[in-house]
Amino acid sequence: MPIISQTPRAANRPEVGLFVTCLADMIRPRVGFAAMRLLRQAGCNVVVPRAQTCCGQPAFNSGDSGHARQLAKNVIKTFEKFDYVVVPSGSCAGMIKLHYRQAFADDPAWKARAENLATRTYELLSFLVDVRSFRPEGVSLHASATYHDTCSGLRELGVEVQPRLMLQAVEGLHLTPLPGHDVCCGFGGTFCVKYSSISNAIVDEKARDIEATGADLLLGGDLGCLMNMAGKLHRRGARTRVFHAAEVIAGMADGPAIGEEA
Amino acid sequence: MNARDAIIGRIRANRGGKAGDPASIAAAAKALLSKPESGRPRIDAGEPGAIFAAHLVSPKVGASIDEIAGLEDVPQAVRRYLDAQGLDAGIAVQPDPALLRLDWTSFDLLPRIEADAIVGVGKALWGIAETGTLVFHSGPASPTLFSFLPLHHLVVIERTRILSYLEDYALLVQDGAPPRNVNFITGASGTTDIEGTLVKGAHGPRFLHVIIVGPGSDRSNDGKRNDRTD
Amino acid sequence: MSLKAIDSFETRVEKALANPTLKIAIERTTSTARMKRAAAVAAWPDFATARDLARQIKDHVIENLDHYLIEFEKNAAASGAKVHWAATADEACKITVAICQAAKAKSVTRSKSMLGEEIGLPHALDEAGITRVETDLAEHIVQLAGDRPSHIIWPALHRTREEVADLFRAHHHRPQNSDDIASMVASARRELRQRFLDADVGISGANFLIADTGSVCVVTNEGNAELTTTLPRIHIVTAGIEKLVPSLQHTMVLLRLLVRSATGADLTQYTTFHCGPKRPGDRDGPEEFHIVLVDNGRTRMLEQGLAEMLRCLRCGACMNHCVVYRQIGGHAYGGTYPGPMGAVLTPVLDGLKETRDLPHACTLNGNCQEVCPVDIPLPTLLRGWREKSWREGLEPQTVRVALGLWAFGARHPFLYRIGTAIAVRVLRRFAQNGWITSLPLTKGWTKYRDFPKPAARTFMEELRRQESREREQGTKP
Repeated sequence: MPIISQTPRAANRPEVGLFVTCLADMIRPRVGFAAMRLLRQAGCNVVVPRAQTCCGQPAFNSGDSGHARQLAKNVIKTFEKFDYVVVPSGSCAGMIKLHYRQAFADDPAWKARAENLATRTYELLSFLVDVRSFRPEGVSLHASATYHDTCSGLRELGVEVQPRLMLQAVEGLHLTPLPGHDVCCGFGGTFCVKYSSISNAIVDEKARDIEATGADLLLGGDLGCLMNMAGKLHRRGARTRVFHAAEVIAGMADGPAIGEEA
Repeated sequence: MNARDAIIGRIRANRGGKAGDPASIAAAAKALLSKPESGRPRIDAGEPGAIFAAHLVSPKVGASIDEIAGLEDVPQAVRRYLDAQGLDAGIAVQPDPALLRLDWTSFDLLPRIEADAIVGVGKALWGIAETGTLVFHSGPASPTLFSFLPLHHLVVIERTRILSYLEDYALLVQDGAPPRNVNFITGASGTTDIEGTLVKGAHGPRFLHVIIVGPGSDRSNDGKRNDRTD
Repeated sequence: MSLKAIDSFETRVEKALANPTLKIAIERTTSTARMKRAAAVAAWPDFATARDLARQIKDHVIENLDHYLIEFEKNAAASGAKVHWAATADEACKITVAICQAAKAKSVTRSKSMLGEEIGLPHALDEAGITRVETDLAEHIVQLAGDRPSHIIWPALHRTREEVADLFRAHHHRPQNSDDIASMVASARRELRQRFLDADVGISGANFLIADTGSVCVVTNEGNAELTTTLPRIHIVTAGIEKLVPSLQHTMVLLRLLVRSATGADLTQYTTFHCGPKRPGDRDGPEEFHIVLVDNGRTRMLEQGLAEMLRCLRCGACMNHCVVYRQIGGHAYGGTYPGPMGAVLTPVLDGLKETRDLPHACTLNGNCQEVCPVDIPLPTLLRGWREKSWREGLEPQTVRVALGLWAFGARHPFLYRIGTAIAVRVLRRFAQNGWITSLPLTKGWTKYRDFPKPAARTFMEELRRQESREREQGTKP
């Protein structure tokens, strides 16, 4: 059993392993860079282990526990050395924090390692506020925005107040509530392609609600959901621009929104 | 093997094969009730009758009420209701001795309750303040159908028989054998089955009017408190 | 024998999605239900504590189900009830029909019972040539229309008022003059009055079976249940074995949660407790009182790790909050029970092979569990079905291959880095002006929405470039 560091190297400068997530890695790296910037501003040393790949959620949710366990072991081995593991996604963080122990229900040794890792794993936005008491300073963005709560972040991890607290500190940003902000957008991982007509019906309703707010921006904490909603908004010809909340809070919303060319 | 044995057998097999110990099962069940306040919302302090009346006239229950000093005032209260509703029908009175001995001389008293009864006057055994509920037990003084056939159901309840919580009723009756039928009635019958629109008077009574009897009301005998909600 | 759907889930879904009136109807009913439930929960500050107690009560009963069944049977028999046991749906129907035939019953009134639907009782009565009169208004509408319930609390929510008006005009002896809803309800009241009086047998379900007195608790709003169970000579209750509760006091806790979760009220208009048949001194009531205890897969659920599903109070809150149910409605599920609880139960009742779509057609968003009054871990149970489906090889080959490839790549970071870098460049080829409108390999996404063009390099590539730049320049972040 590897020795796992239990105390932060320096309580005020913890070593954070950034779990970037597949979608940020492949589709929108800006989210990963925003996370790094924010974590550094919050006084953390950020390390991005090169051995990371996928948290295993697609396999786990498809019932393929065998592959899910294999990928979970990789993540645990790669990340258990850090003081914290931070993830710019509620669903991937939830996978590591809540579901790894379920995947290892019949394997006490790995279950223990999973539970140990779980105590140190956080979704990014809630980590910044709950653990680091972080607020952005000197960040401004003059726009109106509406926020969608991703289901896993909300229900599995209690991510709700924290992003809003930080967004409220962005000067000039006007937050307008989204009716049904806690209602699923219809992404659901592979659901959106396996049951695409139902997913479409759900995201179409969501897009209408977003458009009806009249907000310039749609923000959220999970790229899967954001891509789903952005893709629908764009297909509908909506003018709403979509960012990951971390990008706005890190002062990087002057760049291209999801789907915009640089 | 018959179905009973098969079912019990499968349940026990799933648990390792043995029957449980009845005494410890009973103890565990009892322990779940040790803090009744965990299983119910708190109702305001105060006289249960007032809370009961407030629930009755609330939109959720939608009954109307009248408050009188004594049982002898019931016929007058019934007359008030009929006049307010513009009703000129005969009335059926639940065969409760406390009702039957009252002065019904100015009424067209029907010998029994019919399927198309317009007005039935009944007497509840208890009221429950928490929910604005009336409790009936089937028996010689209380046919079940009496509470379900009339269009207008007028119910007399004595203030002293209004309990606070649902559990208070359960505790009151826990030592005796239950009657064939216990009816908890909370408002008039209704349905939202068509387009979600609420309509009163599906198969049971369309109107529930509760006559609360006993001192403690500041409206006894003046007949003015007659909140109608329809 | 339950009626199984003959067409595919996909076909039923497409049919539902193509019906805009259905969507309006579903949203009207479920949004009101959501709002009322939320108001009821908000009005009870310690609701979470009560919910936890309710869960504990149900778990206690499930752990000791044999004990409570035996206690119930003993006390019910002592009150004069006749208790029957049925292992399967067929047995339950046979028993019920036999009681009716022994009584030479010509007409039977029924109050709403989802368990009755589950075992196929309507069909069994029809086959036996016994006139069946559904008295719950929604079930009456469903009977006239010849279709099936689409929600467990509002079975006819898929019907518009115009459709109901037409049905009543076609079938009622004295139908409504105007098509306002109150007039239609009055027409149903008139139509069914005599049928109540004429019935030889009344069949109801049960919301709770109270062990310490052998009583049966039924909650309703219309008054039809009391007319159904008091007027005829015989009252038959069909109930699932999971309905047991230790005592009346325990029942009160569950009632509070059930009704608030279903309709937002504190109690239904009628909460009735039946204990045995008519007694000396009773002025009305049935001569015979039968209780049919039905297993039909419930013991199998205990064996298959689905014990938590037996907590279900049949309140309907899960489907009211389910984004999938709200789009496709109840019929698309193809079984007796729709929504999240239906997605867990239907594979038990009808076999996983035929019903595997139900646990898969779910985003696992967890709203259902959140609003469940007894905290059933519905997403976990649905995922459990997915695991079983995978182990039994029921998943499409394309999915198995794709996941296998993905997992292989993800276990080998070096390959993964290369693979993702290639994938990103390939995807970018399909994009125009920042978006891909038609993705290779999977049509599901781009049929309905655009896919954002990936950035030129993966995060890991970009990070490595930045770090070598910094090394060259001698700078550090």
